[in-house]
Amino acid sequence: MSYSTFNQEQTNPLTEPMFLGNSVNVARYDQQKHSIFEKLIEKQISFFWRPEEIDVSRDRVDFNKLTDSEKHVFISNLKYQTLLDSIQGRSPNIALLPIVSIPELETWIETWSFFETIHSRSYTHILRNLFTDPSEVFEDIVINEQIKIRANDISQYYDDLIFYTQLWQTHGEGEVTVDGETYNVTQREIKKKLFLCINSVNALEAIRFYVSFACTFAFAERELMEGNAKIIKLIARDENVHLTSTQHILNLWQYGEDDPEMKEIAEELRDEAYEIFMTAVKQEKQWAHYLFKDGSMIGLNESMLCQYVEYIANLRMQAIGFDAPFENMRSNPLPWMNKYLVSDNVQVAPQEAEITSYLVGQIDSEVNASDLGDFDL
Amino acid sequence: MTKTFKVIVNGGPELAVDATEGTLLEALEKHQLEMHYHCRSGFCGACRTKLNSGQVRYTTEPLAYVRKGDILPCCCVPESDLDIEH
Repeated sequence: MSYSTFNQEQTNPLTEPMFLGNSVNVARYDQQKHSIFEKLIEKQISFFWRPEEIDVSRDRVDFNKLTDSEKHVFISNLKYQTLLDSIQGRSPNIALLPIVSIPELETWIETWSFFETIHSRSYTHILRNLFTDPSEVFEDIVINEQIKIRANDISQYYDDLIFYTQLWQTHGEGEVTVDGETYNVTQREIKKKLFLCINSVNALEAIRFYVSFACTFAFAERELMEGNAKIIKLIARDENVHLTSTQHILNLWQYGEDDPEMKEIAEELRDEAYEIFMTAVKQEKQWAHYLFKDGSMIGLNESMLCQYVEYIANLRMQAIGFDAPFENMRSNPLPWMNKYLVSDNVQVAPQEAEITSYLVGQIDSEVNASDLGDFDL
Repeated sequence: MTKTFKVIVNGGPELAVDATEGTLLEALEKHQLEMHYHCRSGFCGACRTKLNSGQVRYTTEPLAYVRKGDILPCCCVPESDLDIEH
């Protein structure tokens, strides 16, 4: 079952499953099995933005005013987000493109990954502005134990799927021995790994990101690090589109609207999927503990952040058919978060950090006394 | 012309909602209910609500997956009296 970049077999993409059917040949969108993915492509592209459009120069002044514990919160979150987007900028492509079978989903995966690379570039944009040499921050991402635990948990599902897909595409189904280790490769086994992987990615985009988002917006509530907040607001908007795409994949499988074998697998591995989400919640709470180990920040502490993780986990897990696991966390403990998560289409006041629509032709953040020279009361 | 329907949320009192004035989400906020939402334009699904009875009409096509028996109040208006769980 080796991969071909242009499958010469005549296939009908309208009858192919989303994954592990025939590989895609013609990139055509005049007929679509799951047209939602092209609608997500259009939505995502309409949100196109460039980090360089956002002026972060004021943030350097703000950063120097932060306490050491606040600096720890800010920088740690940037490191964590850099990790998450390093993974997301490549993994959907590497893990999912070799097994995707319908053109609209193939193109969605490429669009999705591309936007994650914009996010990665924006972290460099933020850090270059804060530090003359940001190397130390980047280098710590592969040393910091707290980040490594998470990196391992997120990448293992991708890596497992990628490895089995490689074995399958080079050897076909059956037992394969590599470096003295024997693997039983079947298409069903790969489908199971795919199912767990998509759950893990959904947990990443639907829950894991929100701990850092909350800290960023808590700074912005105090009118600090607002350039950064403006960037993170755009990232959060993109992530909302991405998590919708993985929710679609999971729900299409669950409702039997795609591959009937995936419906069986979704039922069979329901408990494992549940555990993926609960592990993500547990790890994010541990991350909140690490963030505030040296002290809280005004407006946000460890316990509020943990409550928010539970609140957001309830929403996200219900979206894919689980009961809300945290019954007593039904109301939003951080209501101010929502104003940063709204996808605004209307420009109200460009100087407000929570508005994203006004990007090109930035306001000039430099004000000199001479600018007010002809201003009389 | 107003088009007013009765909406019951979480088994509470009947609320009057005018379907010609904004989305269901906005209408319920006017009644001081704490609503779950993020994008407010139908693509994130954070406002997902259970529809026990009644019918809604989408003013913007939702991009989030709407599971059977659910509605997205941020992009719909009532077409009849509603009983919902939010």
